[in-house]
Parts: sequence; C-alpha cells; structure tokens
Amino acid sequence: MQIHLSLLALGGSLLLSAVLGTGCSRSETSGRAEDGKRFKIGMSQCNLGEPWRVEMNAQIKAAAAKHPNLEVIFKDAQNDTLKQRAHVEEFVSAGVNLLIISPKEAVPLTEPVAKAMEAGIPVIVLDRALVGDKFTCFIGADNKKIGRAAGEWIVKRLGGKGKVVELKGLMTSIPGQDRHSGFREGIAGSQIEVIFEADMKWLEPDARKEMESALARFPKIDAVYAHNDPGAHGAFLAAKAAGREKEMIFVGIDALPQEGVAYVQQGILDATFQYPTGGAEAIDTALKILNGESVPKTIVLGSRVFDKETVGQGGRDLK
Amino acid sequence: MDANAVAGTRQPEPRRPHTASLFRKGWEAPSARAIVALVFILAIGCIFNADGAFYKWGTHRDALRQASVFGILACGMTLVIISGGIDLAVGSVLALVSVTFSLMTIHWGWPGVLAIPLCLLLALACGAISGGIISWFGIQAFIATLAMMVFARGMAKTISGGMKVSTAVKNADGTYRYEEVPEVFRAIDSRVLGGDVSVVTLIFVGCAVIAWIVLARHRWGRHVYAVGGNEEAARLSGLNVKVTKVLAYAASGLLSGVAGLCQAAQEQQGDPETGAGYELTAIAIVVIGGTTLAGGRGGIGLTLLGTLTIGYLDKILSINAVPEASRLMLTGAIIVIAVLAQRRARPR
Repeated sequence: MQIHLSLLALGGSLLLSAVLGTGCSRSETSGRAEDGKRFKIGMSQCNLGEPWRVEMNAQIKAAAAKHPNLEVIFKDAQNDTLKQRAHVEEFVSAGVNLLIISPKEAVPLTEPVAKAMEAGIPVIVLDRALVGDKFTCFIGADNKKIGRAAGEWIVKRLGGKGKVVELKGLMTSIPGQDRHSGFREGIAGSQIEVIFEADMKWLEPDARKEMESALARFPKIDAVYAHNDPGAHGAFLAAKAAGREKEMIFVGIDALPQEGVAYVQQGILDATFQYPTGGAEAIDTALKILNGESVPKTIVLGSRVFDKETVGQGGRDLK
Repeated sequence: MDANAVAGTRQPEPRRPHTASLFRKGWEAPSARAIVALVFILAIGCIFNADGAFYKWGTHRDALRQASVFGILACGMTLVIISGGIDLAVGSVLALVSVTFSLMTIHWGWPGVLAIPLCLLLALACGAISGGIISWFGIQAFIATLAMMVFARGMAKTISGGMKVSTAVKNADGTYRYEEVPEVFRAIDSRVLGGDVSVVTLIFVGCAVIAWIVLARHRWGRHVYAVGGNEEAARLSGLNVKVTKVLAYAASGLLSGVAGLCQAAQEQQGDPETGAGYELTAIAIVVIGGTTLAGGRGGIGLTLLGTLTIGYLDKILSINAVPEASRLMLTGAIIVIAVLAQRRARPR
C-alpha cells in the first residue's frame, strides 16, 4: 500500500508539473518586444463551456495578434463567481495594464472591479453588465434589439399572420428574458400568435423534446423561434423526424460561423441573428485607452442577420 | 413432545432465505409500488392530456425516445448501486463518447463498424478505471467517480477543442466545409416498424434485457447482490469482491458509452458539454424504480418502471407547457413521494 501511495504521489506531481509547464508556455506572448511600450492585458472569462465564449476568446486573441506590443493573459473561471473574483484580484496584484472581464454575475464582481479601477487599472466589461459605473467601458450587444429584429423578420416573412412556437433560453438569465421580451415587441400589433412556448435552457436535446410536444399538439405550425441556434437545430431535427420540416421556418440567434451560419448555409435554419462577442472591439477600445484616448462609457454592438439571401455575403447589418 | 411432531401433520420449517430468493424478494415487493407510481403518472396524463395529445401514439413514441438515453444510463447505474456503490461519471463518459464518435465518423470518415467498438472500448476503460481505483485503492465510490466525472469531461473538451464536433468542419484556411451526416447517425436516429418505434428505444430495451439476464440469471449477477448486501460476508464467502466491483463499474461505463452513441446520433454532433447532470437523473430513475441506494437489492425491471415513470412525467409536463419553475418543484416532490412510498413497503 505504501509503495502504491508514493508512486501515485510522484505520478500526480509529474502530471501537475507537465500541465502547468505546457500551460505557462502557452500563455499569450505575441511577437517580439518593439520600441513601443509592451502592454499586458488580463482577460477574465466566466466560463469556456459555451462555444460563444470560446469564440469570444478566439476573437480577442486574433485581434491582439495584430498588435505585437499586446500580451493577453486568459483566465477561465469555469462559471464559478468566487473563482472569477480571485482571478480579478490576481490580475491586480500582477499589475496588468488593463483588464477585460466578461462577468458571470453583476453584483459579486462589481467590488473587485472597482478595486482594480482604484489601483489604476482600466477595466473593459464585456457582454454582461456590472452594477454602478466603476469601470471604464461596457461593450455589449442588445438582446432586446435582436429579439425584436427576429420578431419583425418573422412578421415580414409570414405576411403578418401565423402560428409560432417559441423555444426559450434559460428564463432566469438576462439574455433569455431580453430575447423573449424583444421578440414579443417585434410581433406586437401583427396577427402572429405564439401557440406554444417552453424553456429549453439553451440546450439542444431539451429543445428537441419540447418541439416534439408542440408537434404532437398542433397540426399546423408556421414558424419556430428559438433563443439560440442549438435550440433551433433541435427543433428542426424534431420536425424532420415527424416529416414536417418543410411546413415551417426556423429562426435562431447567435450566428456562430460553425453553427448558426452553417445551419443557414445547409438549409436547416431560415435565419439566424448574430449575437456579437465584442472581442475585436474590446482590443480596439483597449488600445485607445492605453494610448490615453477617451472612450465612451457604453458601446452597443450592432448585429447582423444571416438568411438564405445574405449568408453568402456575410449577412446583412441590422439597423 | 410437540403435537405437530406426529407424523403427517408437522408444519414445514420456514424456508431460510438463500441467495436466489433473496433477490427475487427484493424484486417483488418494490415492483408493486413502482407499478402503482407509473399508473398514477399515466392517469395524470390522461386527465391533463393537452387537447388529446396524450392519446396520440406519436407522443408515447417520443416520450420513449427521450427517455431512452436516460434509461440506458440507469441500467448501468442499477448494477453499480446494487453492488453498493454509485457512479457519478456517467454523464461525462456519455459526452466523451459522443465527442469521440462524432470526431471519428464525421471528421475522419471512419465507418460505424470501426468507430462504435472503439468508442465503447474507451467507455469501458473509463468505467474499469473508476472501478479499479475504488477496489484496489479503497477510495469511496462517490469520490472516485466524481474524479472520473471531472476527468472525462476535461478529456471531452480537450479532444473537441471546446467546440461541438459537428458537420461544419473547419478547413486549414479558416473556411468551413459541410460534411454529410454519417450513415450510422441516421440509422441510430431513425424509426422502424412503420415509423412507430425509435431505434434508440430498441437499443434501450436491448441494453435492459442484456443487463437483466446478467443480473438475474448469471453467476456474476448474484455476486453483485452479495457484495452490495454485505461486502465483508461476501469476501469471507470467497467471492472475488474486487473483480465483481470493477466489472460493475466497467459495465456502467460501457452503457454510458452506448448512451453517448445515441446522444451523438440524436444531436447530429458531439457536444463536449452534453450530459451534464444526467447522472442525477439516472440515479433518480433507479431510486424511484425501487432499488435502494444502500445496495444489495433491486433489479433492472424496477429500473425500467422508473424510466417510464420519469419519462412520462417529463412528457406530460412538456405537452402541457408547464413553466420550468413548476416542473422542477413537481419533479422534486414526486421523487421524494416515490421514495417514501418505497420505504413503507419494504418488509421489516
């Protein structure tokens, strides 16, 4: 038993060192030191479980790669608020020049960010807002606007009347609530009727299950509006299994290149609305701040719609 | 002298329980309760039938389809729980296999006959490792399978690069090409018998039958009950407790792999995040069916009833468009009620 334990301990420490070793060597050191000042940017991501956030980090990395004087260090809080607090504090003690944060929740992270500001570190907040105004800049998209655009697109496409199934994202989250209320604003005043709505928690298998129930109950469905593309995809698969996929149109949100946009290309979805991550804008704003320029307090990102006609040209801007 | 000792009128001695009837007793008593629970849920469905949707065959076919993946996980979980343990890693192994299967068949173009056995081998290995850690290092099942749960999830994310492995494949230059959905995916996600039964339901039934045969008719099955009932007594009787337990976890891993194949086919992609929380549903199914968490009693038949109960409850809430918050509270309450009903029924 003793031999086993020591072997295990040795193996464990070797594994740990290997992982830390490769992790450290992979931290983003981009380019050679230039004449210009090198800046260290800390990026605190709430989780990398959502592909959308993986995409956000990828876009930040790609935008930063264009500027050799920028070094971005990424930390993933694995959807743990306390871990994210710790990461912010670690960045402050490491003395980064700027902090980008996509918080899991507003209230618990407002104070650590305020402390970072007090320490002289400018902070850019991405996607989810904090409480108050103790940060430099907030960059986010407007889920209500996107939901409204989706509603208006469906109204136009169906000629003002029809029966819609709404598959909602987690309704305890702000994006879910906004994409829902925005949609209802978008279809207000028309004869579009929401005959079935269910909370599919952003998950594809749940969306498929709810869609099966809708198909069992209603002999005629004209459109499916899902709060995200995986949800719309699940609904499509359910309709296809029932042989009814041609009866209705499918609309989703997010428009990730390998997901929503791909689905429109393949004819699975009829439209998807981009929920931009703001990664590139974050780096642009960061550069402005580091060069001493002033930036607006809030930057609202635009969105694009990808449908059959526009998917080839990279979608169409939403006004 | 006892009056009954007179020849011909002597009462037979009460039968001492031996292994074979021990688990038969464990099956008979709770099964009545499990059937009552299922009938109760079905009655609720008839009352709240959502404009007749509950009476359509399609609703039942879909309820079975939805429940099948959880049912397959629950079969493996039954084996482990009867052996006196628990397997928290089933959802993560499901995700790992889902990702690997998609990678092999979509991105690498391997045929199903090659990809399926390899994926199942991977799942079996994960289960065997969990079992090995539990048996040979004496680590509690909860901790060991918790570690495997986290490790397998990490492996799934590493293999997939954190993104879903789908038919949209990224080329070297950053553009995307679209592969076809593999034949084997279509085959698993299809329906047979004139569109009346989903293939995944048949896969679930197949897994349940095989698991039942092994548990109820095979020597190893009896060993599982013995180890779960009293591990020390089993060891002293000469049973190889370590091997018995490793095989139970390996079987659970294997069944998680089968569930992962079905999940990938039904989503037409390998999602490294899929299956999160599925282990809790599997445990709930096993417990509602009547198998006790303490181990030593229960069976696949009970788990089948539990799968149907949870599956139909879910479907009824779905067709009636019950809001999410109410669903969660109702499901939680029903789990507690079902378990309480089981406790009162067990012979003391």
